[in-house]
This record gives sequence, structure tokens and C-alpha cells, in this order.
Amino acid sequence: MEAIWQYVLAGVVDGAIFALVAAGFVLIYQVTGIINFAQGEFVMIGGMTAASLATAGMPVLAAAGIAVVVAAAAGALAYLVAIRPARKATGVTLIFITLGLDVAIRGLGLFVWGTNPYSLPAFSAGNAIAIFGGVLPPQAAWVLGTDAIVFGALYLFFRHTFVGMAVRAAVANPPIASAFGIPLRRFAFLSFVAAAAIGGLGGVVITPIPGAQYDMGLTYGLAGFVAAVLGGLDSLPGALLGGFVLGILEHLAGGLLSPGWEQGIAFLLLVLVLVVRPQGLLGRAVRRA
Amino acid sequence: MGYGRFALVLLGVVCALVWFVPSYYTGLVTQIGLYALVAIGLNLFMGYAGQVSLGQAAFFGIGAYTSATLAVKLGWTPWVGMIAGAFAAALVAYVLSFVALRLRENLLALATLALGIVINVVFNQWEFIGGSSGIKDIPGFALAGYTFSPRGYAILAWALVAFGIWFAGNLVRSSFGRSLIAISAGELGAQALGIDGERLKRQTFVLSTVYAGVGGAVYASYASYIDPTSFNFLLSVDFVLMSVVGGIRSLWGAVIGAAVVVVLTPLLQSLVPLVMPSARGDVQTFFFGALLIAMLILLPSGITSRWSAAGRT
Repeated sequence: MEAIWQYVLAGVVDGAIFALVAAGFVLIYQVTGIINFAQGEFVMIGGMTAASLATAGMPVLAAAGIAVVVAAAAGALAYLVAIRPARKATGVTLIFITLGLDVAIRGLGLFVWGTNPYSLPAFSAGNAIAIFGGVLPPQAAWVLGTDAIVFGALYLFFRHTFVGMAVRAAVANPPIASAFGIPLRRFAFLSFVAAAAIGGLGGVVITPIPGAQYDMGLTYGLAGFVAAVLGGLDSLPGALLGGFVLGILEHLAGGLLSPGWEQGIAFLLLVLVLVVRPQGLLGRAVRRA
Repeated sequence: MGYGRFALVLLGVVCALVWFVPSYYTGLVTQIGLYALVAIGLNLFMGYAGQVSLGQAAFFGIGAYTSATLAVKLGWTPWVGMIAGAFAAALVAYVLSFVALRLRENLLALATLALGIVINVVFNQWEFIGGSSGIKDIPGFALAGYTFSPRGYAILAWALVAFGIWFAGNLVRSSFGRSLIAISAGELGAQALGIDGERLKRQTFVLSTVYAGVGGAVYASYASYIDPTSFNFLLSVDFVLMSVVGGIRSLWGAVIGAAVVVVLTPLLQSLVPLVMPSARGDVQTFFFGALLIAMLILLPSGITSRWSAAGRT
């Protein structure tokens, strides 16, 4: 029983990061209709930038801030180089393009950082956090706090700001929104920047726990898809819920069956959701891309 | 010139070539042939039928594991293993098609990606087929007392490619092929013309995995060692790259694409470290990703589209 509780706690921490990646998917999918297969690579950019700067002697929080900016810039660049020139392309072509982006960014990470793993000190010193007999590393507080802030900010932005409502209008009905002067293309650009920044932030806060390596993006990207589809591709609360559900399930499967089954369970779940409830747990209806 | 005759000419060229080139290049020629088989199948499914599969490596793996397991555990000849591998891949694809082919575009991509990864996890976890350590000492092909040399494998692979091209070439020029193109242009419209889209997509998916299964089965005997990492998601991405580079709706494009990917991989792995000493490992990935993006933006119908367009004008 104690072991199970510990799996759940560890799953919550990982799930928090999956939720951030999933939020990036949802943002981009909502605004552009694109499934961005490169989403996980922004996690890698955030984690690797922070870890390598901190290793070079920069204070941890400064490195973390720069890493998020670098990830956001990578998102902007990715949009301008690969997505914008292909904006007339149809569904399958765009899938392949973001797949190419994923591979290219990972390759770039290999050039910049090599294959060595990097580590990043925890943001704050302190003892392990004990919760009902389970323990979490102190960094977990930063991870969960980041989720609270990011999702809180997204909620406020979409519900209570003029621009946020304009984005929702653009999602609801692009042609009409465009007729009202809402700049769809700029929103598409900004959705990539925001998704990349959020992914990068996720990479920054999680890296003190498992470390960072150039190929870490694939794992987070794939988990992020599952979380996003699980929660509903058009739902930010769904991304949050999907992230936690997936994180907990993966750790339970890994702990109770064998570590190798983690991914297997995650993707069986994805297939199941796609077939049984393609709109996800909290989504409305599947938008035909 | 028809697909069949051109394929025979190509087979003749390969047969002649492998007697002259050093054995390292014979290996590359074999690999091109085996990957080309997978890419031909993939082009039928993605290019002609307009669907998408991000899990094709898994079916290559099913072919390889089936043939290898039968050979190692039961002592069956790889010739039978090749047919069994194709059959196993087709069977799995047939069952999965009821799940996956209900979905379109984005969601189909996600589902095939997911199924590919689940199958890879099964390779990893199933101790009977070697688990994560894989299967080693897989028996090779033999024919009337002759045990296949690397040359033999190159010729076998390209004989299969020739047959595969001939078969696919006839298929795409039949009413079956024209129906596929109709589906890719618009499934609803195709249905209005009396085309059973569901069934046609299933048949094409299963056929594409037969190509992958045969390729995988020969690969297992050729490499004599397989493990789950040989059939992971990254290989599925490589297959997509082969399809797109050569031209997704072109059978020769599949062969060209396979050649480009197979030749560029060792080339980049040896050239890039000369310029960037710190770069090690899979340095080709950056270039492959960039190539995929560039092709889709600049030449979305692939390299071969230029040739055929030039030929027609």
C-alpha cells in the first residue's frame, strides 16, 4: 500500500510536466489545427539550456529564466522556418513537417550539447517533503507550483482578458473572427511561442529530478500527446487532468508490472481513448483537421 | 517502360554491381532493397490511399521476429519464415485496422504512432522472443546447399523489390489503384461513386504491412541479430522520410527515398564529426529532419515528381 502511494506521488510530479506539454499541444491545436509533434523538444531545449548554463557557473534561477526565453525563441523560429512557409499545406503534410521539426531540433540538441547527460541543482535546498508516509523531493514543490501558475495564468488570460477572448473567438470561428479584424496568423505564431515557452518551463523545473539529455524530448513529447488526447485536444483543463492521470498510471504500471510497461500502458490508453472517446475526457467534439 | 520490365533491368544492374563493389557496399545495397520494400508498401498506403502510418517499423519488426523465432525455436527455414513473417504482419495489421482506420489524418497519425510503440514494448517485454536482449544467431537463407553470402542477400532483396514494384505497379494502374486515388481525393466523394473506402483502406494497409513483413523477415536472417531497438519509432520516421523524399505517390520514389536515407546515414555519420568534432552518434537526425521539412515545403511531391513532370512536357 505504501509503495502504491509512493508511485502515485511520483506520478503526480511527472504528470505535472506531461500536463504542461499537453497544454502546449492544446494551444497550438486549438489555434492552428496542427498536432505539433515537436512539442517535446521544447522541454529538451528548456532543460538542456538551464542545465548547461548552470553547469557553466550561472546562478540556477538566472539559467532557468534564460532557458525559458531560449525555448520560446526556438518556438518562434520553428514557426517561421517550417510552419509559416507551409501554411497552405494540408493535414498529412503538416504532420510530417512537425515530425521533421522534432527530428531536426533533437539533432540540433545533439550538435550543441553532445550525448552527455547534464544535471541541474534543485531550485531550493531543503528536506524531502513527506506526505502521508510518501516522500517527494523538494523540487516537486516547484514543479507543482509551476503547474498552478501556468494553468492559472492561462485561465485568467482566456477568460478575463480582451486578447484571450479574441483568441477564443478565432478558435470558434476563424473566418468570422478574421472579418472582425482578429489577426489569425499572428495568433498562430504566438501559439507556437507560448507552447514552446510553457514546454521549456516544464523542462527547466523537472530537470533537477531526472537530469537532462539531448534525446529527452521524445519521451516528454509522446507523453504529452497521450495526456492531451486523454484530456481532450480542445480542452486546457483536460490537458491538466490528462497529464496527472497519465503520470499516475505510468508510475503504477511501471511499479506494479515492470518499468518497461510504462510506455506500453500509456499508448494502449491513447489508442483506447481515440477509439472509445475521441473527444477525450473533458473535450467537446473532435475537430476535423 | 512498364514497372515490370524496368524492375527486371534494375535487378540485373544490382546483380552485376554486387560482383564488383566491395562487401561494405553490398551491405548498403541490401539495406536499400529491404527498406525500399517497406517504403513501397508505405507509399501505397500513404501516397495512393492518402492515409498516414507512423508505426511501419513495428510491422517490419513483426516480420523479423516471426521469421527469427520460427527459425531459432523450431528450426524452420527462413524461406517459410519470410512467408510467415508477412502473414503475421498482415494479421496484426488486419486486427488493428478495425481500431486505427476509423480515424483520419491527425488522429490516425497518433494511433499508428501509438500502436507502433505498443508493439515495440511487446518486443521488449516478451521474454519468449528474447525481451530486450533480442534474438541472436538467426539462421541465414540457404538454397540447394548454397548458404547465402552478402551478395546473395543483395540479390534476394532486389529480386523482392523487383517483384514488389511489378505487383504494386499493376495494382496502382488497376481499378483498385484508381479507387485508392479517389479515396485520397475525398472519401465521401469516392463512396458516392460506389467505392467501399473502409474496405479498400484496410486492404491497402494490410498489403503495406505484407511488404514490411517480408522486408523484416529477410532483414532478420541477413543481420543474424535483432533486438527491439532495431524497430523503434525512429525507424518509422525514417520510413516516412523515405516516402516523402522520393515522392509519396511514386513507386520508384520509394526506392530512391530508401537509397537516399541508407546512403546518407553512414555518410553524415563519418563526415559531420570532421567538421564538428564534438558531434557523435546519430548526427544524421538533424539533416534528416531538415530534409523532411525542406522537401515538404519546396518539393512536396518528392524528387521523382520533377522527373516525371519533365518527361511529360
